[in-house]
Amino acid sequence: MTEPLLEVRDLIVEYPGRRRGDARIRAVDHVSLHVGTGETLGLVGESGSGKSTIGNAILGLVAPTSGKILFQGRDVTQASARQRRELSGHIQVIFQDPYGSLNPSRTIGHTLTEPLRVVHGLRRAAAESRVADGLARVGMPPDTVRRYPAEFSGGQRQRIAIARAIIHQPQIIVCDEPTSALDLSIQAQILNLLLDLQQQLHLSYLLISHDIDVVRHMSHRTAVLLRGGIVEQGPTHQITSEPSHDYTRALLAAVPQASVPSGAQS
Amino acid sequence: MTTTTSTTRQATDPANPETSRAADGTGGGGASPRSGRRTWRAALGRPLAVVSLVYLVLLVVAAIAAPAVAPFDPADLDLDSVLAGPSAEHLLGTDALGRDVLSRLIYGGRVSLLNAAIAALTFLVVGVVGGLAAGFYRGWVDRAITGVVDIMIAIPGLIILLVVLAVFGGNMTVAMVALGVLAAPGFARVMRAVTLAVRAEPYIAAAQVSGLPNRRIIVHHVIPRVTGPILVQFSLFCGAALLVDAGLAYLGFGAQPPTPTWGGMIVEASTVMQQQPWLLVPAGATLGLATLAFALLGDAVRDATEERTGRTAFRSRRAPAVANREPVSVPAGDEPTPTALLRLRHVSIALPVNGALTTVVDDVNLDVEAGETVGLVGESGCGKSITASAVLGLLPAGAQITGGQIWFDGTDLTSAQPRTIQKLRGSRIAMIAQDPIASLDPVFSVGQQVSELVRRHHGGSRAAARTHTLELLANVSLRDPDRVASSYPHELSGGMAQRVALAMALAGDPDLLIADEPTTALDVTVQAEILELLQRLQRERGMAVLLITHDWGVVGSACHRANVMYAGQVVETCDVASMFRSPSHPYTVGLLQSTPHQATPLEHLRAVPGAVPAPGAWPAGCHFAPRCALAAADCGAAPIGLAEAAPKHLTRCLHHDQIARLEAP
Ligand SMILES: Nc1ncnc2c1ncn2[C@@H]1O[C@H](COP(=O)(O)OP(=O)(O)O)[C@@H](O)[C@H]1O
Ligand code: SF4
Ligand SMILES: [Mg+2]
Repeated sequence: MTEPLLEVRDLIVEYPGRRRGDARIRAVDHVSLHVGTGETLGLVGESGSGKSTIGNAILGLVAPTSGKILFQGRDVTQASARQRRELSGHIQVIFQDPYGSLNPSRTIGHTLTEPLRVVHGLRRAAAESRVADGLARVGMPPDTVRRYPAEFSGGQRQRIAIARAIIHQPQIIVCDEPTSALDLSIQAQILNLLLDLQQQLHLSYLLISHDIDVVRHMSHRTAVLLRGGIVEQGPTHQITSEPSHDYTRALLAAVPQASVPSGAQS
Repeated sequence: MTTTTSTTRQATDPANPETSRAADGTGGGGASPRSGRRTWRAALGRPLAVVSLVYLVLLVVAAIAAPAVAPFDPADLDLDSVLAGPSAEHLLGTDALGRDVLSRLIYGGRVSLLNAAIAALTFLVVGVVGGLAAGFYRGWVDRAITGVVDIMIAIPGLIILLVVLAVFGGNMTVAMVALGVLAAPGFARVMRAVTLAVRAEPYIAAAQVSGLPNRRIIVHHVIPRVTGPILVQFSLFCGAALLVDAGLAYLGFGAQPPTPTWGGMIVEASTVMQQQPWLLVPAGATLGLATLAFALLGDAVRDATEERTGRTAFRSRRAPAVANREPVSVPAGDEPTPTALLRLRHVSIALPVNGALTTVVDDVNLDVEAGETVGLVGESGCGKSITASAVLGLLPAGAQITGGQIWFDGTDLTSAQPRTIQKLRGSRIAMIAQDPIASLDPVFSVGQQVSELVRRHHGGSRAAARTHTLELLANVSLRDPDRVASSYPHELSGGMAQRVALAMALAGDPDLLIADEPTTALDVTVQAEILELLQRLQRERGMAVLLITHDWGVVGSACHRANVMYAGQVVETCDVASMFRSPSHPYTVGLLQSTPHQATPLEHLRAVPGAVPAPGAWPAGCHFAPRCALAAADCGAAPIGLAEAAPKHLTRCLHHDQIARLEAP
């Protein structure tokens, strides 16, 4: 097998207890997973199951207690500030909250060009043209750069957040609940956009969601997380059609069936 | 919490000012997004703040330019006129040695203001750096700084200050630096708290992932967001430092005579208070007013920072006048059934948006029969919650029903006395909301809250109420009613809290339960349990349920009939089976196709283009026309009425006979 793009080996993340002296909380417990080039790995589980913590560990936002994170075979678990800066051109993120993920007191143009200029050393014109290109790819008009986040709807802000990620030309994007705050018709637009970008830019996604329908629709492979541990992992169609773990079955059964209007029959 | 993200789809309803403010992103978060410059500008919109600032600037300028502006040398003695009152020559009089008070005041400012500035700068640097570092880096940095802060707050500052003065032989510069350091921990604590709040916002994490160095993130993205609190604390401390400087002069520290200082002048004046009380006034007033000015300035900045949080969410939307139009004709099949428990006819509701009334619910018809569950489906901002609050008589301030009737069991609620509606609410009509924990009172136990309602509705003794309470808690399938009754809301999980909210709603034996997104905030497995419970209660009690949701799964599993709302209107009404089998409005079709539930994986969903228009920006004809694949010229001409697609199946679409064109691949 060729080397996976991203690999997580036996990851453990613990948070300090709420008060001094409390036992540490183990949010992620011996998690191993990998994501190949152009592939989407879905990570599904309920709130508090540790999904975001795994994503944040990959992004360097929380420090793993033990375990390894490999990017293209390179150990980036303890990446230095300089290595992190370099990694920002490979691993990017889209967060759930389209309201909080853009600095409200900066224009979109400012927020998007800043890292290109400061981190990647692009000149103003080059940075601006890359931002314009990114915004065009996500379907936002050019004058977006002059406006503030408050002037956009949730769906538009999420498009902008996607643009912010792709202008770094990453290989993989961690999508943490990318559509959970959005309405159904907007969710469909954003999911379509993510599929398009994956095709066009050969992107890999780590798709974190509590919604098994979204994960089933978007992922090649799926990992099911329960209380910090992966209970089942494999090709998506296999996980959703022949779940082998009770928890996966419960998760699938719990989704109310839109197509079978049982209420109408009572 | 920093990285935990709620897994809910927040149903942020622009028709509801409460929720939409948070959705606007300006009301949420701990610190104000207003940057420093804008805070200043807003603060200086206040006359008192301007006067304060002008006064302080004058003091500083006069002190700097003392040799040029002071009429006399501060040490010039004029023994012929000692302790004189104000005169043309000596505007503020003379002191015990006949020196000009005005000149001494101006020169005194050099020493006193400089001392205060030293203390204030130290305070600023130590407090801001300590608080920012603790709040931003967290972890051991935070623990170390917080530990030091805790200790420093506990030690007696004045005594340390006196020790420092003793050790350094009365060196005021050292003393002022010490003062700044001693006062900074309280400031650092405030800074840490506001920094933590800003730090928790996802855009900071996004900036880190984009590779920006931490120092740059702090300077460019955190500090501008916390300038408000910095300015407030700084300003207040400047005033305090001036007072401490004067107080130390009283104890004999600081510049010695004949060098003038404000504190020294007050000391000198107090020794001759019997002969010339006036002498206390110039220095005392200058100092007092300076302290007051700093306090007023701090207040103005604080108000300016807080003010913006209260701004409404609708500022960018233009609000046209309410369209006053004829009710749309209703086909015969729409006539109210005599048994309908709740019947809305042509209900329109308007809300003030930027001062202008704007229609947010437009000509809504809705029926709920006794004992049935009816879904009200639609995306955020379509008017679902506002419609429900109109039924409950709980419209937000300024909102009004501009047309139509709401009948509940034969009574028209739009013309009923508020008392009548209030009596219905809770007893015959009950409600549960999306966030169950927020709907419970945090200071009372669950048992206290439920039995209070039981007694209000049924009277009886405490013991009877207690028994009834435990029955209700058992009835909503809480496994250990005794334990739950004695717990407090924060001890409950989301699912348990929603069960408790249900028990409270059931306390008055309602005929109609309005459930507004009751499962949206819950995990799927808990969601399924709550839905099941809702269905069981509805069957057992013969209760009608109006279920507001954006989730087709919830509609499919819990409802008998459904109404789809779009941009303030009900666009389709029928039984749930027909809605899934033969939807007759293009928006319903689009919304059903948007669900990934049965779509082919990794292929495009059939998404509806565009977004729901805001109230006030609705198109003249069909509200859905700009997004509709079937739209034709006639769709934009006039308001669309309800048409019958099949018996008991109504759709607000002119071209519903062509709906099949949408289904084709
Ligand atoms: N910064 C933090 N400090 C302490 N505990 C945390 C922190 N972030 C998350 N947790 C805890 O870690 C566990 C996993 O959380 P998270 O990864 O956010 O789960 P998910 O994304 O699946 O909802 C939860 O118990 C949560 O309360
Ligand atoms: S009336 Fe016209 S625009 Fe409106 S939904 Fe029907 S076809 Fe579409
Ligand atoms: Mg999460």
